[in-house]
Amino acid sequence: MNEQALIQDAQRGNLDAFNTLVLHYQDSVFNAALRILGDEDQAADAAQEAFISAFKSIASFRGGSFKAWLMRTVTNACYDELRRKKRRPTTPLEPDTGDGEEMDSPKWLADPALTPDQQMEADEVEHAIQHCLDNLPIEFKTVVVMADIQGMDYTEVASAIRVPLGTIKSRLARARLRLRECLQGFAELLPANYRLEEGIKAR
Amino acid sequence: MNRRDLELLSAYLDGELKPADSARLEARLNTDPELAAVLNDLRAARALLRKLPTRKAPRNFTLTRKMVGQNPPLPRAYPAFRLATLVATLLFFFSFGVNFVGTQMASSGQFGMGGGGAEAYSVQEAAPQLAAPTEEPPLSLALAQPTEDALRAMDTPSAKNGGEETAPAEDQPPAVVEPLSQPQSRAPLVPSVWQIGLAAAAMVSAVLMGLMRQLAARRWK
Repeated sequence: MNEQALIQDAQRGNLDAFNTLVLHYQDSVFNAALRILGDEDQAADAAQEAFISAFKSIASFRGGSFKAWLMRTVTNACYDELRRKKRRPTTPLEPDTGDGEEMDSPKWLADPALTPDQQMEADEVEHAIQHCLDNLPIEFKTVVVMADIQGMDYTEVASAIRVPLGTIKSRLARARLRLRECLQGFAELLPANYRLEEGIKAR
Repeated sequence: MNRRDLELLSAYLDGELKPADSARLEARLNTDPELAAVLNDLRAARALLRKLPTRKAPRNFTLTRKMVGQNPPLPRAYPAFRLATLVATLLFFFSFGVNFVGTQMASSGQFGMGGGGAEAYSVQEAAPQLAAPTEEPPLSLALAQPTEDALRAMDTPSAKNGGEETAPAEDQPPAVVEPLSQPQSRAPLVPSVWQIGLAAAAMVSAVLMGLMRQLAARRWK
């Protein structure tokens, strides 16, 4: 895929070229939205909105990392979605676990390579991580999703969310620290090699 | 653990420290187990995040032309048809306005300086009506022999007017008669044929525009 040529064609209004880019990036965009919003339906809506918005404003793309530029539109779409959610709180359709928490392991998400036990374990770990992510302030969550889940470097993250590099470093460090503290509460769920040491408190 | 050390450890983990800063931190890590333990925790937290499975998008997010408000390219003649439709429609409604104003002015008898045309028109229109009574059997005869036909003829408005005005002096010129006081007998300023023509032009042009759009949309797909 010649990304540069596709971007130029899309900038001239070629929707087919843009759709090729959509197919290439849609998983990344959906995953970023999913981790920020913590809800699949909302993430799908945000991803769709992000692509529509990206096509409409692609003329403003002036080079650099296209993924970072796309991530900026996703972040904005997620913020819009969160604002909408605040205005109109919705009731989830998924059954809950009885203690008020949603079960977030629909069958279509299951990894066929895992045994049912492994799948359940993986779901629980994922649930724990998502729970800790959801407890982070949105600006911390966005940075950690970009850097640690999307694997973007600091410069790309800074470009995506338009904040200085120093702020990215600071937010990422504090987000990781908070996640560590939160995940300690799920120690028994985590694989042995991912267990976190206890007793070290950050000031 | 202070915030500065935390940021250093986090950036070190990502390889974002300058070589000199990195070397200094490594020296501290060798002597400070607390610092090393925090680094391990941060590493483990990052590894857990990286371990999160990448979900497949639940559907394709490819865009349709409708989603982005793109319209199919229309033929070059399309704007001409649009203009024709607009002009024909405006003229159509305008003709009703003209006829209405003309009727109102005529009925109120307000013929100003600019009403010469209407006046001339009224006189022309009135001529046949004025001629009508004169062509009828002489009124004197009718009055002398009031047959049923003659009485029926006198009931008609033209006959009434003619009777009132022309009976006393038959040699009086017909122009003295006031036909302008009869708005109901006057034809509209814009003939109905024109109005029908304008409406037909507007409709045909609009239908052609619709066909052009449909054809363009079909080709676009």
